[in-house]
Amino acid sequence: MVVREIGTRRTSEIPAIELQGISKSFRLYHDANYSLKEKVINWRKRGYDLFWALKGVDLTVFEGETLGIIGPNGSGKSTLLRMMTKILSPNEGTIRTHGTIAALLELGAGFHPDLTGRENIYLNASILGFKRRQLEGIIDEIIEFSELGPFIENQVKNYSSGMYVRLGFSIAINLNPDILLVDEVLAVGDESFQGKCLDRIAHMQRDGKTIVLVTHEADIAASVCHRVLWLEKGKEKMLGDPIGITELYHKAMRMRPEGSEFGTRDIVIEKVEILNQAGEETTDFKTGEPLVLRLNYNAVQPVKDPVFGFGFYNQMGFMVYGTNTRLRDIDIPQVYGKGKMDFKIVSLPMLDGRYYISVAAHNRDGMLNYHWLDKLYYFEMHSPGREEGVLTLQCDIDLAP
Amino acid sequence: MKEKLKRLFDYRELLFNLTHKEVKVKYKNSFLGFIWSLVTPLMMLVVFYVAFGIIFKLRAMGMQYYAFYLMSGILPWNFMSTSLLLSTGSVVSNADLVKKVYFPREVLPLSHLGSSSFHFILQELMLIIFLVAFRVPLTPWILLFPLIMVFELTFIAGLSMFLSALNVFYRDVQHFIEIVLMAWFWMTPVIYPISLMRDSLPSWAVHLYMLNPMAHIILLWQRIMYNSPHNGPDAALLSVPGLLGTIALSVCLVIFGYITFGRLEGKFAEFI
Repeated sequence: MVVREIGTRRTSEIPAIELQGISKSFRLYHDANYSLKEKVINWRKRGYDLFWALKGVDLTVFEGETLGIIGPNGSGKSTLLRMMTKILSPNEGTIRTHGTIAALLELGAGFHPDLTGRENIYLNASILGFKRRQLEGIIDEIIEFSELGPFIENQVKNYSSGMYVRLGFSIAINLNPDILLVDEVLAVGDESFQGKCLDRIAHMQRDGKTIVLVTHEADIAASVCHRVLWLEKGKEKMLGDPIGITELYHKAMRMRPEGSEFGTRDIVIEKVEILNQAGEETTDFKTGEPLVLRLNYNAVQPVKDPVFGFGFYNQMGFMVYGTNTRLRDIDIPQVYGKGKMDFKIVSLPMLDGRYYISVAAHNRDGMLNYHWLDKLYYFEMHSPGREEGVLTLQCDIDLAP
Repeated sequence: MKEKLKRLFDYRELLFNLTHKEVKVKYKNSFLGFIWSLVTPLMMLVVFYVAFGIIFKLRAMGMQYYAFYLMSGILPWNFMSTSLLLSTGSVVSNADLVKKVYFPREVLPLSHLGSSSFHFILQELMLIIFLVAFRVPLTPWILLFPLIMVFELTFIAGLSMFLSALNVFYRDVQHFIEIVLMAWFWMTPVIYPISLMRDSLPSWAVHLYMLNPMAHIILLWQRIMYNSPHNGPDAALLSVPGLLGTIALSVCLVIFGYITFGRLEGKFAEFI
């Protein structure tokens, strides 16, 4: 453990939050099996995929430290934060926290629309685990900070969303917890209130409070935090210096399409190759060129009747084209061990733009996904610029004299 | 377990605030406010009086003050059924909170018990006022009110914690409980006098009938609120072993419900 020097202040060596080997999986149900009847009918079928939101994360947040957690969508940031608050419990690993915690996972969670702002302050504070007597001294401060003025005596249902957010933030931050957990909430509210919140966070930092900040915007993390944790697919990618990491993060985010993968992994698609005419891997194609999509799969155990497929998506997320072996009436009785499959596209009709590729192996009725790589690959289309729109069409022009 | 109880105790203020909220929200925006809690039993009394006293002329059959008899049983029954119905859905209907804030989740079903208790006490007070107004003699047993209230609360608390936890995973519970309550109502001496069962059923069936814990609880209430002559001279079928058994059952239920709830609550946020 190294004591880090931040500005003029040192963070302590006393741990405030200790996470050891945290793993968390979620069941992604194909169809919500919520009723008893369905449960009985489907009792043998495993109607879900396991999705590992976090895998073996170790982390110690020290007292007085501000830690930023950054990462793309689905990287496990929010899951990690929720485990710190004990809302979710991990499948593996242990969590220990020292001190009172207030979490801002969603501002105003637990506000009751029919109660007034003031009544909601009491209710919300007690939901966060604070007692009325702790509140007496600071209630005026909360109201003042929220800038609600006389509206504090109005029912919350008549509040604008901005007022709602201000009240929620004002409660959590003025309760002065030992540990404050913040999830993406700085993005809301107008700029002056945001500034006020950042001021307040700085104030808490000076007071030696521990803050964990989950954010999409790496720049906020860089400017506020002492350390930054970069999560990627549920694992720690980097931990340390905020400026350096956010720079690398920005760079990586520009390169990388938003994607995810899941499945039972009975068949694993180990490698996806995007090949041009010459059989070389590339991501740049001209309109009209052929493309070969090669899946290298490995069936760990014999799998009967699998279906392989792929889809192209444009940047808006719409599927441009997709097919699979079942739709094409190609029966694969069984796969076992390693193998290859080529999808050969004779001519790409798309004009310009980036296209994402999803590939998948699943069972015949599509209920069970062996491996689904969602938009993890991409290629760029380039057209000579003689056409506009999305696709090229065979278009001849006759000019009548 | 001990730790959990301590945690629940730490959050007692939340339990109080949620109860307070339930009570407040129920009559928010209504002109009469909590007076409705008093008007409802008054109307009930009037309707019963008109229906059974005047139209059906039960009075001629020796059922004087049937309305009071009915009220003394139906108020605690409603107390049980509304708290059970509300608390069963309580975790699911607070999904937003459960997913976003950590607190001992058992305060959700328990807060409904709190608010139902509040209304129940008001209604019982109304009943006492009616009894006095109609010059019906009160029994000294009425002093047992708080004790029997705790007894019934224990019974309800166990059931509602168990059901509200189960309801997160199987939403059928909520619908199922409605049907069960309907059948249960007719198996409990609320609208008919217990003597009807005692005199018309064979003795083994009466024993079976008295296995229903609610039968004991309702009989107790009837006994302390309004000792009606048609309950029979031998104070109906209340017996010490029967009561002790029911108390033991309630205590077991509360422990079982609390433990089950504790086991399942870690998964609430995911399943809800």
